[in-house]
Amino acid sequence: MLSFIGRSVVQKIITLFFVSIVSFLIIHIAPGKPSQVDPMNPKFTPEVVERFRKEFHLDKPLHVQYLYFYKDLFTGETVSWKDNQSVLKKIWERFLNSLPLFIVGTIITWTLSFPIGIRSAIFRGQFYDRSATFLSYLLISIPGFFFAYVLIIFVVNQFHVPVIGMETFGIGDGASLPHIFMDRIWHLLLPSVLGATGGIAVLSRYVRSQMLEVEGQDYIRTARAKGLSPEQVHYRHALRNALLPFVTMFGLILPGLIGGSVIIESIFSWPGMGRMAYEAILARDYPVILTVNFVSAILVLAGTFISDLLYLIVDPRIRL
Amino acid sequence: MANNNTLISVQDLKVYFRTGHECARAVDGISFEVRKEETVCLVGESGCGKTVSALSILGLIPTPPGEIAGGRILFQGKNLLELDEEDMQKIRGNRIAMVFQEPLTSLNPVFTIEDQIGEAISIHKNVGAKELRDRCIKLLKDVGIPSPVQRLKDYPHQLSGGQRQRVMIAMALACDPDLIIADEPTTALDVTVQAQILRLLKSIQKIRSMSVLYITHDLGVVANIADRVYVMYSGIFTEQGNTAQIFHDARHPYTQGLLASLPSRSKRGKRLYSIPGTVPNPAYKPAGCPFHPRCPHAILTCAKEYPEMCDYGQGHLARCPVLLEGGDGYK
Amino acid sequence: MNIDEKGFNQDFQFEAPMAPKRTRLQEFWLLFRQNRLAILGLFIFILFFCCAIMGLFITSGPDPLFDPAMIRLQEKLRPPLAKPNLDSLRREEIPCLGFYLMGTDDLGRDVFARMLQGAWVSLTVGFVAVGISVLIGIFMGGVAGYFGQHHIRVDHILMTILLISGAGLVMAHSIRFGAVLLCLTLAYIFYSFFTQNRSGEKSVPSWAKVFRKSAVSVDTLIMRIVDIMLCFPSFFLILTVVALLPASIYNIMIVIGLTSWMGTTRFVRAEFLSLREQDFVAAVKTLGASNFRIIFRHMMPNAIAPVLVSATIGIATAILTEAGLSFLGFGVPPPHATWGNILSDGKNFIFDAPWLTFIPGIAILIVVLSFNLFGEGLRDVLNPKLRERH
Repeated sequence: MLSFIGRSVVQKIITLFFVSIVSFLIIHIAPGKPSQVDPMNPKFTPEVVERFRKEFHLDKPLHVQYLYFYKDLFTGETVSWKDNQSVLKKIWERFLNSLPLFIVGTIITWTLSFPIGIRSAIFRGQFYDRSATFLSYLLISIPGFFFAYVLIIFVVNQFHVPVIGMETFGIGDGASLPHIFMDRIWHLLLPSVLGATGGIAVLSRYVRSQMLEVEGQDYIRTARAKGLSPEQVHYRHALRNALLPFVTMFGLILPGLIGGSVIIESIFSWPGMGRMAYEAILARDYPVILTVNFVSAILVLAGTFISDLLYLIVDPRIRL
Repeated sequence: MANNNTLISVQDLKVYFRTGHECARAVDGISFEVRKEETVCLVGESGCGKTVSALSILGLIPTPPGEIAGGRILFQGKNLLELDEEDMQKIRGNRIAMVFQEPLTSLNPVFTIEDQIGEAISIHKNVGAKELRDRCIKLLKDVGIPSPVQRLKDYPHQLSGGQRQRVMIAMALACDPDLIIADEPTTALDVTVQAQILRLLKSIQKIRSMSVLYITHDLGVVANIADRVYVMYSGIFTEQGNTAQIFHDARHPYTQGLLASLPSRSKRGKRLYSIPGTVPNPAYKPAGCPFHPRCPHAILTCAKEYPEMCDYGQGHLARCPVLLEGGDGYK
Repeated sequence: MNIDEKGFNQDFQFEAPMAPKRTRLQEFWLLFRQNRLAILGLFIFILFFCCAIMGLFITSGPDPLFDPAMIRLQEKLRPPLAKPNLDSLRREEIPCLGFYLMGTDDLGRDVFARMLQGAWVSLTVGFVAVGISVLIGIFMGGVAGYFGQHHIRVDHILMTILLISGAGLVMAHSIRFGAVLLCLTLAYIFYSFFTQNRSGEKSVPSWAKVFRKSAVSVDTLIMRIVDIMLCFPSFFLILTVVALLPASIYNIMIVIGLTSWMGTTRFVRAEFLSLREQDFVAAVKTLGASNFRIIFRHMMPNAIAPVLVSATIGIATAILTEAGLSFLGFGVPPPHATWGNILSDGKNFIFDAPWLTFIPGIAILIVVLSFNLFGEGLRDVLNPKLRERH
């Protein structure tokens, strides 16, 4: 067990190292120099650019830049080129903003997709299953940004509540506490529902196919031959086996903190991680891009590590 | 036919599987009975409908695509096909229990042995936790598992193949059923373990005075344990009788072919006989006698008329009029 | 027939009735036909394909039938099916149908023409991107699965690094140093071929043995590369690269292709690993077939089904990704229409001209949906395990 943990940590660190190299190379080899942050800006005289290059070590060879960058990153001294703020502090602030979105979205996804998927599997081929199947294809296929606008139109027309941003502009002055609270909920609800739709569709399909897979196994027949009721067979014998792979998925949702939210956060002007990454890309703010990339790689690796560990714990067939 | 001694009697059972544009007649009108304290064997090649008949007794045919197209299954006077799901559950595992072919996949990998055996008891019997445990230990002891107390907390993958099958048998025995259906319980095991499991089944049957419906494709096993034998081919019975009648006085060409293809001491050095052709696809069965395309005695009538059972006396029946009295059976 | 004592059945033979013989394709079609949603998907897909190809012809060229770039400022934001105001338009500005089938946008451009133009973009992005990713995926997965236990030696790695850096230096205009590196590498490659052919004759000096050590197996190497690629959040990575590269539809295709091959690699590898253990491969091997023949003639047909399914669904994903990128304003440079940028332009008029949002949105939805339905239908039919159960 310990040797497994040790080995996998070492392996993950090596992977992380290569990820850092690749992302650094992608950004620096791509055409367009980072020093041309804004060539049209009259304040960027050649002297300023030169000073800028010196300050961020851009005049050094690539491998030296690499070392400088990651030294700064690990000592927490990386600063954004755009506003000279500490990148880690910026990311932390934005992370706190994204967190409620992520948590609510994940809760919606997991609480809805399991009952839907299990019911679909039990009533396979019947009306419920077929409509759930079609609905999830619909949700997988709908472009997120289009769906966002449809929902915005619907909510704004039906309930007359504003949904853009984290809260209604200027609501802090003189509004009652429950009012502010409800306002927050409204603003939180739409983006998290949107973030969850794709997840619900995919996850419920996956739950369904896992359940079907398990229901076809011999031990389900054994359980029925013992005289168990269908409910006991489904929810005790089948579900327990079908759930095993999902324990591993629990680790894999971590990277969703950054990945999927770019479009939704920019539509809803939500000041989260995805939007910050998008703005950084537009501004060619390399330290921010690289740091976001690095953090998300860490999240991915931590996620797979956690899921491996969880699998070890829940599956009695694996003993190290 | 059904006298007081009959435990279960299956009459003209038909099980069809419909898949899209085809209808596979897996079991096509079989009748048999199992008497009290008797071991009955269903013998036949793979795909002839043995397992389907066993599953339909317990009402475990997946519907759809399967459907029971006709017949009755009388168990202690009640027609099992007319019971609803809830009453069926009281019979399964309690009065009729089943042992499956693959002990590895038939045990749930995420539950311990104790969970799985205990469950079989607690569904049907109202017992406390302490007694449940004692019963599990006793059952494991009965089926010959060494150090049963330690084994209770094991998962199926930690046991050997033979031990898993013993656990399956323990599960089947949990509620002291009247009938055990054993569906090729030794096929997936080593030959030495096979013999042990057979001996175990035999002794348990004697001690507990149960009936056993034993399904196999292995005539050697049949000779070993059966009181009476039903030979199955392509969803119907071709011959039935007691073990001696079948083995020494086979009247159906299919049974004769099966016996001729068994290796034995007298045939040493000779080429073994094999029945030409293959089992018909259950969706496209031949008209008339299903065996006629492979039969060495077939005459033109065999391809047209469905053969009737011919009585050879003392319960020995064979579905081949051609061989009855020198071939004038079709009249 | 040694039990045939009575002498029957020597003069005629009975025919056993056989299940009707069908080719694999017929069998496949029979099963596929039962899935009505998948048939619907296939139908829409063919329709879309025709539209896209037709759209390419009637919206391009010097004098297109429908001109997606024609600006008529006086006709802006006309709703679908609106008649053009004939007085204020010049002759060549009148839409050829006589009305605006899907309305006009904020610059008075015909949305129908722009949708047709965008269809071709979506189609090519989907197919080219998935083509790239499937090719890479099959190659990497096949190599990892079939040659996985071969080892790469230290000198291979060193030479690859030298070769790449030499090529890089040449491209970065330091030609002399780069050329020296390249020459060195090529010389070593020739040398190793030479020694390989007469191996066993001369023993390698001990200092060179370090280079002959096996460093890592091919399988490990490829799977680690896959792990590394999976560490990047895909949409964010695509966004970064597309933003850095010059705006062009080809860059989008290539980038989407290069960032989505990992799934294919994984299951081609898994499939190959299980196939190569199977008896028929061993049988072909004992017949003396070459690796090439084993891979392409015997293993690939068995491994291709899941690739096909994931490719179909991959096309749907690629179309969605492209639409998302266009929506964020990356990719295809402005005058050219894509469904994503029509929607992106239209969102500013969402309350005045909702058709500018809904038409492209629903079009994307339907096309992506059809690919997903078709792909799932394929999966059901091609997966024998699922087939039994329905």
